[in-house]
Amino acid sequence: MSTFIKQACVMIHANIFSLRRRLAISVSMALSISLVVCVLAGFLAMAKGFEVALTGAGSPMVAVILGGGTNQEAGSDIPADAIRTLYAMTDDIGVSRESTGSLISSREIVVPVDVKQFVDGTTRTLALRGMDADGPSIREGITLSQGRFFTSGAREIVVGDRLAAEFGLGVGDTVRLGAVDWTVTGHFSAHGSAFESEIWADLDAVRAAFERQGQIQSLRLRLTSSASLKVLQDKLATITAIPLVAVSEADLYAAQSGRTANLIRLFGWPVALLMAVGATAGALNTMMSSVSDRTVEIATVRALGFGRLSAFIGTWVEAVILASAGAVLGIIASWLIFNGWQASTVGVNNARMAFQLAVTPSVMLTAGLLGLAIGIIGGALPAIAATRLPLTAALRARG
Amino acid sequence: MTENTPYIAISSIRKGYRLGAEAIPIFSDLDLSIPRGDFVAVMGPSGSGKSTLLNMLAGIDGPDAGTLRIGTSRLDQMGESARSSWRAHNMGIVFQFYNLLPMLTAAENVELPLLLKPLSRKDRRNRVEKVLDLVGLAGREKQYPAMMSGGEQQRVGIARAIVSDPGLLLCDEPTGDLDRKSADEVLGMLRFLNQEMEKTIVMVTHDPQAALYANRTLHLDKGNFHEEKRAA
Ligand SMILES: Nc1ncnc2c1ncn2[C@@H]1O[C@H](COP(=O)(O)OP(=O)(O)O)[C@@H](O)[C@H]1O
Ligand SMILES: [Mg+2]
Repeated sequence: MSTFIKQACVMIHANIFSLRRRLAISVSMALSISLVVCVLAGFLAMAKGFEVALTGAGSPMVAVILGGGTNQEAGSDIPADAIRTLYAMTDDIGVSRESTGSLISSREIVVPVDVKQFVDGTTRTLALRGMDADGPSIREGITLSQGRFFTSGAREIVVGDRLAAEFGLGVGDTVRLGAVDWTVTGHFSAHGSAFESEIWADLDAVRAAFERQGQIQSLRLRLTSSASLKVLQDKLATITAIPLVAVSEADLYAAQSGRTANLIRLFGWPVALLMAVGATAGALNTMMSSVSDRTVEIATVRALGFGRLSAFIGTWVEAVILASAGAVLGIIASWLIFNGWQASTVGVNNARMAFQLAVTPSVMLTAGLLGLAIGIIGGALPAIAATRLPLTAALRARG
Repeated sequence: MTENTPYIAISSIRKGYRLGAEAIPIFSDLDLSIPRGDFVAVMGPSGSGKSTLLNMLAGIDGPDAGTLRIGTSRLDQMGESARSSWRAHNMGIVFQFYNLLPMLTAAENVELPLLLKPLSRKDRRNRVEKVLDLVGLAGREKQYPAMMSGGEQQRVGIARAIVSDPGLLLCDEPTGDLDRKSADEVLGMLRFLNQEMEKTIVMVTHDPQAALYANRTLHLDKGNFHEEKRAA
């Protein structure tokens, strides 16, 4: 072992074992770092949870056809002609067919509806999706957790599990959506994905209740394979003067989740960084007082011939250790507090979307690294100060 | 180096401190030579520059001008890192307040200077044991400074100063904080190190009785030395 490493080890040892002399300020440094880590982890977990909810919703096996020059469901419009043409095609367009030969498809519209919240009576805007009978089965991972799906033409709705709990919508209840009453016939689970924040009903019933007769926003089709999207896209290009686009459901939601998740991050990072600046100043102050607390010890070993670098390393490592402790604490706290936390935001189709915060390993790593950076940056200057202690003054200091 | 070349040679040293805009001169033209194997006591009023002199001899501080040679090393020409490594290999230092690291055991404190040398753990442990035995602290390796009396702590300090077997031992009021009995033990130890182990010792002290353990006493006053004439 080189003499430098031995010196550094002794200095690190001396720093760590003198920590309890400055316990209060060291603990407060670690805690302020853990606070920063926790806050950043919270924001990142929110963004991540949002992404998870939306990516879980999308399947690469489902194509979504949109019209009207948009690549979102909101604002999309598909003329009935185009749908008829598509349905009339008998050759391979990349879409699965029933045994009767008809396409496995669902025409859909989404209508924003106001629903009173069960707990505090406030009104929230939710997404009511009208769909064909194939709608639920076309999607992946949808299971009925209670009751039954809506019947064709009836004013019946099925509600995602998450909404059902939050809005107190039990099977058999009636709710007023728009101008008419609807009966809840079932609850469905979508493994926590964005669909669970929606209310589903029969397409014609929705169109009738909201005077959207004839309107179709999107057409969902089950692909024969994820690669056959290309076949469908080529086919679409030939059939109409009106431009229609076909995207995979997975891509549709990924694009939308990306926007909102980035918005959350865009808000979260500056907040966390601002706090980090404060925590860095705190770390700087803590480590400066560590250096002054160890002045005599540092000067003593320097007088014995220890190099400047060992004084630097000892101080810096102490800062990094305190920051690591704070980061680990912050990560644990954020996991305990945020992981699985229910949150909601304005999501797809301008309706409320509920999701769970997800403190994933990458969230922990990113937040933890910020905490570590605080120690590395906040400890550097005091570590340099430790190398510059005027030895004679320091040795006189302890009279 | 010839026989009569002094071991320590200081000539025309100027040294002062700066306190803000004010310059505090300590030495303006100091000369001193000490032969190898000498045991010199340095006395003088508080603030006369005794510690300043010792720090320069230790390579902790540098003169503003003049030459300072110890053995073959020109300390006045060295930079900070060269002086740092010179300290590690050429001198041992004993402080008035022992300056032991409280979080290290007696053995670990004594071991510190050995960490600067390419020695195996076993060699280090053997040397530490040997010097602790020499200062009468065999078996106390694992004790922390806080569990020891002042006299014992200073003996650990002496063990630390001699563990890497330097030729030069510098002591700044080594008994200034000790009772008479402990002081005599420590001073006896220094005399032993001088007479039996041929260490050159420069010891700053306030205590005339302590000075009697040395071969000669130098009085520092107003920036220069006066040698005390002793009755034979
Ligand atoms: N690092 C320093 N900065 C400023 N003044 C100092 C410093 N070290 C010593 N002095 C001043 O230099 C003078 C001599 O100090 P010192 O060598 O410690 O004296 P002694 O050890 O003889 O009491 C004193 O007046 C002291 O205040
Ligand atoms: Mg002094």
